[in-house]
Amino acid sequence: MAEKKLTAIEGIKVASDGLRGTIKESLLDEITGAIREDDKALIKFHGMYEQDDRDRREERAAKKLDRLYSFMIRLRLPGGLISAEKWIACNNIANENSTGVIKITTRETIQLHGLYKSKIKPTIQAFNTAHLDSIATCGDVNRNVTCASNPALSTVHEEVFAYADKISNLLMPKTKAYYQIWVDNEMLIDKKEEEDPLYQKHYLPRKFKIGIAIPPNNDSDVFINDIGLVAIVEKDKLIGFNIAIGGGLSATHGNAETYARLATVIGFTDTEEKTLRTIYEILTVQRDFGNRTDRKLARLKYTVDKLGVDKFKEEVEARIGFKLAPAKPFEFTERKDIYGWKKSNKGLWYYTVFVENGRVLDDEQVALKTALLEVAKLNKCNFMFTATQNIIISDVADKNKAAIEEVLRKFKIIEHTEGASLLRKNAIACVALPTCPLALAEAQRYMPEMISKMEPLLEKHKIADQELIVRMTGCPNGCGRSAASEIGFIGTHPGRYNLHIGGDNEGLRLNTKYKESLNEAELLAEMDSLFGLYNKERNKGETFGDFTIRKQLVK
Amino acid sequence: MLSEPKLKVLQDLIAGSSKEELLWINGYFNGVVANHQPSANGTAQASAVVTNKITIVYGTETGNSKALATQFAAKAKKSGINAKVFGSDQYRLTDLVKEEYFLVLMSTHGDGEAPDAAKKFYDHIVAGGFTLEKMKYSVLALGDTSYPLFCNVGENIDIEFDKMGAKRLVPIQKCDVEYEADATQWFDKVIQSLTQKTASAPTAAPVANGHAAPVSAKKVGKLAFTGNVLTNIDLNDRGSNKETYHIEIAAEGLEYQCGDSIGIVPENDSQLVTDIIAKTNIDGNKSLEYKKEKFTIYELLKRKINLIYLTERLVKQYADVTGHEIPVGRYDLLELVQKYPVKVPSQFEEILVGLNAISPRLYTLASSPKAHEGEVHIIVAKDVYTDSNGQQRKGLCSNYLSGLKVNGKQNFFIQPNKRFRLPADDKDIIMVGPGTGIAAFRSFLAERDATGATGRSWLFFGEQHFASDFLYQTEMQNWNETGVLTKINVAFSRDQKEKIYVQHRMLEHGESLYEWITGGASFYICGKKDPMSVDVENALLHIIEQYGKKTIEEAKKYLEQMKEEGRYEKDVY
Repeated sequence: MAEKKLTAIEGIKVASDGLRGTIKESLLDEITGAIREDDKALIKFHGMYEQDDRDRREERAAKKLDRLYSFMIRLRLPGGLISAEKWIACNNIANENSTGVIKITTRETIQLHGLYKSKIKPTIQAFNTAHLDSIATCGDVNRNVTCASNPALSTVHEEVFAYADKISNLLMPKTKAYYQIWVDNEMLIDKKEEEDPLYQKHYLPRKFKIGIAIPPNNDSDVFINDIGLVAIVEKDKLIGFNIAIGGGLSATHGNAETYARLATVIGFTDTEEKTLRTIYEILTVQRDFGNRTDRKLARLKYTVDKLGVDKFKEEVEARIGFKLAPAKPFEFTERKDIYGWKKSNKGLWYYTVFVENGRVLDDEQVALKTALLEVAKLNKCNFMFTATQNIIISDVADKNKAAIEEVLRKFKIIEHTEGASLLRKNAIACVALPTCPLALAEAQRYMPEMISKMEPLLEKHKIADQELIVRMTGCPNGCGRSAASEIGFIGTHPGRYNLHIGGDNEGLRLNTKYKESLNEAELLAEMDSLFGLYNKERNKGETFGDFTIRKQLVK
Repeated sequence: MLSEPKLKVLQDLIAGSSKEELLWINGYFNGVVANHQPSANGTAQASAVVTNKITIVYGTETGNSKALATQFAAKAKKSGINAKVFGSDQYRLTDLVKEEYFLVLMSTHGDGEAPDAAKKFYDHIVAGGFTLEKMKYSVLALGDTSYPLFCNVGENIDIEFDKMGAKRLVPIQKCDVEYEADATQWFDKVIQSLTQKTASAPTAAPVANGHAAPVSAKKVGKLAFTGNVLTNIDLNDRGSNKETYHIEIAAEGLEYQCGDSIGIVPENDSQLVTDIIAKTNIDGNKSLEYKKEKFTIYELLKRKINLIYLTERLVKQYADVTGHEIPVGRYDLLELVQKYPVKVPSQFEEILVGLNAISPRLYTLASSPKAHEGEVHIIVAKDVYTDSNGQQRKGLCSNYLSGLKVNGKQNFFIQPNKRFRLPADDKDIIMVGPGTGIAAFRSFLAERDATGATGRSWLFFGEQHFASDFLYQTEMQNWNETGVLTKINVAFSRDQKEKIYVQHRMLEHGESLYEWITGGASFYICGKKDPMSVDVENALLHIIEQYGKKTIEEAKKYLEQMKEEGRYEKDVY
């Protein structure tokens, strides 16, 4: 490894003066909507990606216009919790500066698309005023920490949930560049305060994701993370966490060295101090041993497999100064959002709203964005974002439930949520075209249509009552977690997808490629025959994913 | 063949004329010869002449007064009168007191202002302090009745001359946008008063409305062209409030310089023509004589006659012919034939021949002869406006051009603009060209790119939105990268809460801008006269004042000096 050349991004990070680079100068380039090449890598650490509308390239070129560059900005919301007041702020900022659509992501946060360069500063400043930030939501750092969402499902939720915030704060980069560049140019920085013992000057080799789950529901899809924490609860008390390492779904077509991987449980920690320390040192091991010469092989999963799980664990234990306890038994039985009203043991109510592909907007079918704004204006709840890209109207007191329900009824949100099929409600699609530069095929723009064509097949084969998990991504990088689904569509070319099956329902087994590069008709024909087979030959209670494995349709 | 004085007149004329003017004169004389009734008594006219010398001074912004002045001078010569023609900026003000027969053709612009080139002349007269006892004069004032101070500048000159003791030859004639008939009549009266002839001389060459000179020159076949449309694209992206078309036309034998304009005579909308024909039951194939040429009625309606927003005078004519009572106002012809039908087609024919010709529109060229060989490029913003009745209207020519089909044929002519030229290759240029004002500077930059000029270039551009309205963005980026465009600053007025315009960007970079200017840079403005060019000039004055540590008076003098050196040029409309 030492012989190979470090990637260009490694050089950019080290030379960036605490992630500053020439971002300020880039913002002053008046004649381009883009920022300078090196700065593109750096703004990710500030929570943004530069994108351009790929649908519009040709037409704009004919008009002698440059590509339509814009920026996506993603908030840091550990566990995906936001107050009603902050939701209103996001709603207004989205209207003013972006496409207006608020996108709930699979990492339980929200992102806005289509910000022109001139709108970045006003956006971040408005977020700052609302006590929101986008620090470290992209880039080679720890990203937004996800957590089991619905507080009504567990007595220890509040205690577990607090970890998301603690972990996020523990792993925040120390540089104040974010505030200096975007919020206050005049800000004076004491460089000593910026010294960063965790990230140093070169940060991590690659992105880093941490998630927390509370069995038996694996709604946060915990094993797809670099570090997954499984809350261990005994007699309604949190006794600690199983720690799993090396999850990650991204792969590259045609690159056999890359693969999706679920995290491996390596042990158990019982105190907060031990848990946080272990997490911290897993990052330092990845920092020091991760591959910095090939970004495709730089995620923690490759470091773990390169060193071997045991060796990796030893290295971590050497750094934390204690041995990890053996993992505790746990069981996941489902992986889904529980829609509708649920009451927590503390007497508060939670309503999970179905948001197709996580896109909050007003469309012909439902005025979801207006409805949520109206709910927020009542100022009687919080909002939570789930890993399946839905919203939970949270922490509603008994006396306020009726008022909120009235708004939900008025805007037909309850109808909308109850009316959607199970298939649709469990589905995920990534952003893909036109803005994602990695996309090879459509995903979120096409998935609703695909679902509509699959629904009659499920009806036909009398399996519409199944909690079938279907996910679509425009490429194999896995933002929509397609590798961890019972049916995965992974884009290869425009209009063509690899069909993956064999993943389980709970998120403990990845799927496998079944057929390559199919068009829509071929996909539907394949599913028609698979569903027919499943209906005829399944065992009682057997999920589709398990059935396909038992039948050895894939290995 | 010519007598000594005539020969001298001709030689003087030739010596004082540019190549383009000579071409025009050539064409004009062709017209004169073609229409001339051979006069057996050529000298008889001369004998009746009161004077054989007049001075004509014109003050023009768009070229109308200049075209008239040239046309009148030729006409005067036909009557044996030698006319000296001066632009008001070339005229020696100290000569005024010596003048005997003096004609002023003066345009008024915007809120009662003199054309830029006439400001000094006008200020000199208004300031007064001298007498004009020898002078016999008349003023032809051009203006636009839609402005409150219609013909204000001409009127004031008329009053001031009178105060200074000059005598009016004939009373002042004020003309509206369609000035042709009134102006000709006025000049005929002037000639009459000079020659004491009773009958007015017949008009020589047919004069097209608005831009007599180039249209006549068409006959020469040098400045008029028929081209092939290569490209027609809307440069604005989806979601823009604007439609700005970039049109490329290829033509054989093109000759022009950066800074020149292109003249286009728009055609009427085919549907409109069909509707009018249907409504009036007139035979579109019937031949009709219009301004001494024969056309089918369809041709006439489609290509020759202005059908839109007829003036009150023409509406009155229509009312007189048809016998309808029509409220005073301006109407489209279609509206008239719908609401106030003609009784028989022949009645409509009578109306048609009395209507005005479509006037050519001028657009500053956006191409460079060196960079875009054999092509002219136009940039035109589709003009949509609301008339006094609150009706939405489309500008005839911009709408016509926006619909030009690729591979179609298009006639045009070149209108030189000698004042708006690039300086020597090693000189710096500062260009302020928001909106379609970018045209001249795309031409300049393309030329400098092609010639490898060493002087630095600095462009200020502005529009509404960065994402959709940055005209020629990729070209500017390329020129900026290759160094042809040394600096570029842009202002997009509607991308933030407070409106930002080019003048704000200039002020932000005032210090550097002043350095460029004191280093010899030429400063150009192209685009909307109001308020843009005024705001830009004020910003420039402010910069000179601030960074030159001058009083505002000194700053103004400095700018005057720049003008005299040809380092401050405007092409505004």
